[in-house]
Amino acid sequence: MRTPRFTAPLARDKQDTLLLIASSLLVLAPHAAHLPPWVSLLCGATLAWRAGVTLLGRRMPPNIVLVPLAAAAMVGVLHSYHTLLGRDAGVAMLVLLVAFKMLEMHARRDLFVVVFLCYFLVLTNFFYSQTIPTALLMLASIVALLATQLSFQLTGVVPPLRTRLWMGAKLLGLALPLAGAAFFLFPRIEGPLWGMPDDAHAARTGLSDTMAPGQMSNLAQSEDVAFRVKFDGPVPPQPQLYWRGPVLGRYDGRTWSRVRPSRFVRPQPLALSVGGTPVGYEVTLEPSNTRWLFALEMPRALPDVPGHGVTLSGELEFQSLDPIAERVRYDLVSFVHYKLQPDASPVDGQWLTLPYGINPRARAEGQAIASEPDPARRVAAVLREFAQGGFVYTLQPPLLPGRDAVDDFLYGTRAGFCEHYAGAFVFLMRAAGVPARVVTGYQGGDLNPLDGYLTVRQSDAHAWAEVWLPHRGWVRVDPTAAVAPERVQRGLAQALPAPAPFGLEGLGRLLQPDPDSLLGRLRYAIGAVNNGWNQWVLNYTPQRQQNLMQRLQEGLSHWQSLALIGMLCAMLFLVRKFSQRRKTDPVDALYSVLCQRLGQLGLPRAPDEGPTAYARRIADADLPPGPGAAATEFLRRYSAYRYGSQAPGTGLVPILRDLLSRVR
Amino acid sequence: MRWLERKRALWRTRATARDAGSVLLSQRRVYILPTRAGLGFCALLLVLLVGAVNYNLGLGFGLTFVAGACALVDMVQTTRNLAGLVLSPGRAPAVFAGEDAPFELRVENPTRLARYAVWIDFEDVPEPRQAVDATAGGSATLVLRTPTRARGWMRAPRVRLSTRFPLGLFRAWSWWQPDSRALVYPFPEHDAPPLPMQGRPSPDGFGSAGSDDFGGVRSYQPGDPLRHLAWRQIARLDPELGGQLVTKHFEGGTVDELVLDFDALPVRLDAELRLARMARWVLEAEQRALPYAFHLGRIRYDAALGTAHQAACLRALALYGLADDPA
Repeated sequence: MRTPRFTAPLARDKQDTLLLIASSLLVLAPHAAHLPPWVSLLCGATLAWRAGVTLLGRRMPPNIVLVPLAAAAMVGVLHSYHTLLGRDAGVAMLVLLVAFKMLEMHARRDLFVVVFLCYFLVLTNFFYSQTIPTALLMLASIVALLATQLSFQLTGVVPPLRTRLWMGAKLLGLALPLAGAAFFLFPRIEGPLWGMPDDAHAARTGLSDTMAPGQMSNLAQSEDVAFRVKFDGPVPPQPQLYWRGPVLGRYDGRTWSRVRPSRFVRPQPLALSVGGTPVGYEVTLEPSNTRWLFALEMPRALPDVPGHGVTLSGELEFQSLDPIAERVRYDLVSFVHYKLQPDASPVDGQWLTLPYGINPRARAEGQAIASEPDPARRVAAVLREFAQGGFVYTLQPPLLPGRDAVDDFLYGTRAGFCEHYAGAFVFLMRAAGVPARVVTGYQGGDLNPLDGYLTVRQSDAHAWAEVWLPHRGWVRVDPTAAVAPERVQRGLAQALPAPAPFGLEGLGRLLQPDPDSLLGRLRYAIGAVNNGWNQWVLNYTPQRQQNLMQRLQEGLSHWQSLALIGMLCAMLFLVRKFSQRRKTDPVDALYSVLCQRLGQLGLPRAPDEGPTAYARRIADADLPPGPGAAATEFLRRYSAYRYGSQAPGTGLVPILRDLLSRVR
Repeated sequence: MRWLERKRALWRTRATARDAGSVLLSQRRVYILPTRAGLGFCALLLVLLVGAVNYNLGLGFGLTFVAGACALVDMVQTTRNLAGLVLSPGRAPAVFAGEDAPFELRVENPTRLARYAVWIDFEDVPEPRQAVDATAGGSATLVLRTPTRARGWMRAPRVRLSTRFPLGLFRAWSWWQPDSRALVYPFPEHDAPPLPMQGRPSPDGFGSAGSDDFGGVRSYQPGDPLRHLAWRQIARLDPELGGQLVTKHFEGGTVDELVLDFDALPVRLDAELRLARMARWVLEAEQRALPYAFHLGRIRYDAALGTAHQAACLRALALYGLADDPA
């Protein structure tokens, strides 16, 4: 009994160890993307070493080799990251720990330790990527780890690896519905529980606090998502989708920046009157590492951003108190018809100042326009000039390195992006004595017809202007719209000629597909899946959970849904009952009926009595001859069927049923 | 009403049933607790959860819940790995006191679920020594050994079945009292006095029964002493080619009366020692192929030879002064 077990496990242990190495490789592989190359190489070498030890039947390295090696690796991590404590350094250490632990496995407990560490490494991979492919890789890793764990438990019979992987997959399949329920129902806590290390968030692109030439056009080439919006009602028309961000009022001749709150001027109280139908929507802001929150012009109340305090500036900008490093969601209500500070004249000079001595031509032109008494007409005059003056809207405008950038643009190149138009417009307006400022943010967005989400990308970044007109307050003016109306009507992609990567026109069209084409619809589908993933998996917050619970509660309190659930339960019960019934042999069923009947006739079958003994007793009993003979015959046939050597002939059931009907 | 009656009858049967014959391990008989690895896994889940909360990792929550659900599924599967097995006792051959008594046990798996790594051993063994696997609809037979001390009937100790399959996070176990007993013969005395020959010594001075004159060979019959097997003849004919065991047949010689009488032993000896001596004599007489009569209290067997006679004598010795049924 013992001998075969003594020789067999050696090979089996090897198999198990190799399986463990393979599954840990699956877990470690995605980490290679962010680890220093030497860590990946060292890990690979260590695992190869371990595999060699297993395959060649060598001895494991003694601690006198391992300890200096581990210490050296630690020094290496310190050298690479300049710390041992940060998040990335921690992950690197963990990766090395798993690799070295492989060389120090002696007891069964160590196997569990490695498997558990592997689970933790799967989690740490989410610091770097939480996409759908990562999730699929996670599931594959779990299947491999489960199969490994399961292999350690086997003793005698070892099913082939494929069967074991299938067992692991089945276990996971059974666990998934449960995990899904827990995911949505388990009470969520808003993190973080403690301060995160500084390197927790890498720099990301986004709108900045300033506007210099070239900044916006840089951003416009990024397809990164800035935020997504879900409207409660119908989506307002594209030309009204102005997402307000930083408001810039200071110009130094090159860069527009925000007006610093002055110590001497008391900020005016914000006066906003709104009209028309409110537009309710929910913004899911991607992490930008800035503090800006974007809102459709004009929002009436501060949004409630989970985990962040929100402030409102005098220029109606929303900012969180700390940088937004994770995806956040907030609800807002906006009004597309509004009047911002219609009565109070803006603070003296603040929105009229211009740097001295530069752009003399533009200044002169502005002063010329100022002769027109109605400020609204001055605005119209400048816009007319933009529309008719042969201006070109382009992503790659000629550089304006000179001191008088606005002059060079207005009277020289006449080709620019939104930042040039907005900047020049505000300059002209101020020169003409109309309070004006630059507003940056996003314009438009891509509505995904599949899930109703409006996606606003970095390429939708935009700059426009606001002028203050008596009794009308701050009025939005978009000089870009005067130059290139299609930018505002239909979005950036339509306003610019399609780019031609590698000089190939067709490739460009492939990258910017028509929304109605198959490719375009596929892109929408992928976008919808990605957005659903972000909304329901990556950013499933306590608020969202509360909403879901509420909706679930409302849905369940309907009598229809309760009836449906009841019906489902009843069906499940019946199916179960039916399948149990089906399992019994019809001959056995008839036999139990016969026993029951004979029991009613005063001859119950004893629990230990077989059909033959029972038949003998019945033959001796004083039953009426008809039923008695029938019962005896039934039992004879039954025992022949049950215990006889011959295969049962067909038609036994009707015969037995007939005999049974005679036992009364 | 009749339904109620039937249920009550069923309940009564179930409540009073003992583990007679084969036993179905119902779910109710299977107990389960987490192992140390399971507790470690629980700690791991906590760490994963804290990590997911702290870094706001949506997928981290996913991983935590998937791992937790896997542990729960493991709990169910570990229970199901044991529940539904049918256990039945097998043979339990007689042994001499001091030897290990082998109990044959049979594990049947009537379900459609294959069972792996079910550890089976007697309750008093700290670490189970044997594991069995049973495919769907298959069965496995194993022999468990337990040391014996006293003569008489020995009931099989309680058997513990346990399993950690599939993930090792939980250990499910169940008890089973097999309805099996082994007969334990008295321990044969070491250095016992020679066989008590009675009557006149045989003329040749050696009292072997009919061992003097070789009378030919005849086919083997159960009970023939092994000493008399005609090995030379047997070796010539391969049993697989139709050869048979043959026994040397002796004639003549005088048969001395060899009587193993318990009452003839000195009374000052301990009863157990006398039984041990009797047992040794039975073995020795059998080995030397001397027919022997056997007297033990009211039991009187005439002189005879062979395994059946030996078994009857040893059985009488084993049960001397004991109730036939192990309580």
